[in-house]
Amino acid sequence: MSHLALAAVSFAHQAAPGSPVPKGKACPPRPILDNADLSVPRGAFVLLTGPSGAGKSTLLRLFCRLEEPQTGQVLLDGQPVDTLPPAQLRRRVSYLQQTPAVIPGSVRENLLLPFSFKAASGQERPDDAALTALMDSLAAGDIPLDQEASTLSVGQRQRLCLARALLTRPEALLLDEPTSALDPESAAAVLGAAESFCLDQGGTVILVSHAEFAPARVTPVPYVLSGGQLRAGRLP
Amino acid sequence: MSPGVLDIDLWRLSLALVFSLLAGGCSIALKLGLGRDILIGTVRTIAQLFLMGWVLGIVFAVESPWLVLGLFLAMAGAAAHTARGRVHESAVHFAWPMYASMAAVYLVVTVTVTGAIVHAEPWWKPQYFLPIGGMVLGNSMNSVALALDRLFSDLRARAAVVEMRLCLGADAAEASADVLRTAVRAGMIPSINSMMAVGLVSIPGMMTGQILGGSDPSQAIRYQIVVMLMIVGATALGSTLLTLIIRRRCFGPGDRPLLR
Repeated sequence: MSHLALAAVSFAHQAAPGSPVPKGKACPPRPILDNADLSVPRGAFVLLTGPSGAGKSTLLRLFCRLEEPQTGQVLLDGQPVDTLPPAQLRRRVSYLQQTPAVIPGSVRENLLLPFSFKAASGQERPDDAALTALMDSLAAGDIPLDQEASTLSVGQRQRLCLARALLTRPEALLLDEPTSALDPESAAAVLGAAESFCLDQGGTVILVSHAEFAPARVTPVPYVLSGGQLRAGRLP
Repeated sequence: MSPGVLDIDLWRLSLALVFSLLAGGCSIALKLGLGRDILIGTVRTIAQLFLMGWVLGIVFAVESPWLVLGLFLAMAGAAAHTARGRVHESAVHFAWPMYASMAAVYLVVTVTVTGAIVHAEPWWKPQYFLPIGGMVLGNSMNSVALALDRLFSDLRARAAVVEMRLCLGADAAEASADVLRTAVRAGMIPSINSMMAVGLVSIPGMMTGQILGGSDPSQAIRYQIVVMLMIVGATALGSTLLTLIIRRRCFGPGDRPLLR
């Protein structure tokens, strides 16, 4: 059975309710996905490419219900995602935004943020040693846990955000151009962690990438999204 | 002439137009372009207040609780409509919940004041209920508009952080808790500030009216204290309830944020 799947999914951005439609421009919205099918087995590493604005981010957002398809079904382990409690779904399928977002506070407070929500009640909070070990695995062990997160560089923030996502113990990672604004060292750390998540922990990864991606350990399954059509691609 | 207050006949009332003419003169001399607004404002002030005086005269004479409540709800509708017009957000429908919660919260506050504190007999006695209700509505209308405007603008400005929290397993309330706090604060701050300045900067409206009417200033201040505290409570309650209800409408099924 597929771990993540799309079944005949169509999606187009809708105008917000009440927003004015300019005269003569009431044409139907451009489809981002047109009757798309996708089947990603558990533990696969999918590399999704396509031109800018093709809807690669939207496809990732469909899996964690940040977008809703107009038709078709988005499935997790064969179950429609809209039948799962949203908080539970988003902890199982973790979406990492392209621009890393942090809250005011220390690196520690940011890492422990997922444990402050009701969905994490009863879960044990990792101690400082565990947090440092995790940051170390992302080549960010030199960042003090007491440091204010807002003072970190973009690359350090992205690694912090990935570490935070991994702390929720997801089954799948959806990475939205995670290295687009990173220096080579940070990019290598982030992609290395994604490969490790896939190979060592059996997690599923969908990586959206604009830039050329040279995997060190995994053999990605390539897909291309263009003009509303999702099709198998070729590795460079 | 009523006891304790000097009547203003129509001739002397018309002398007050001198002040409008003065304002119009400034506008013309300095080319402010406000002449039309000053004219319309003057006409509306006179017409609306004469209408209000005429309606209140009837309501005071009839003394029906339904008429008093009907007028209060109409005033609440006008307040909600005005506040709605100040909030520019079309992606979320909030007019009806806004009207319903404003009417409900401010009705409860007004009934508490007239029934439990002022001890008006009956609690809906129009001479007490309508002016006090009007003050609650007038002040809270601004706070509600400020709170909602802040709620919508912050949900858009901080969409990335709200979404990040959702992705880490937060529900809509947890993801937007800080946005809600900022919005309620924005709604409450003006009424708290006015508590700091009252009695130092100005003699407030209700107290002025009572003093002009011949009341003992020591009683007039008691009414004013009740009014000030009532307004703070009403703005807190109104802003909190309304932002809680309307924040829920800013998220779609599956806690999907609608404002980005």
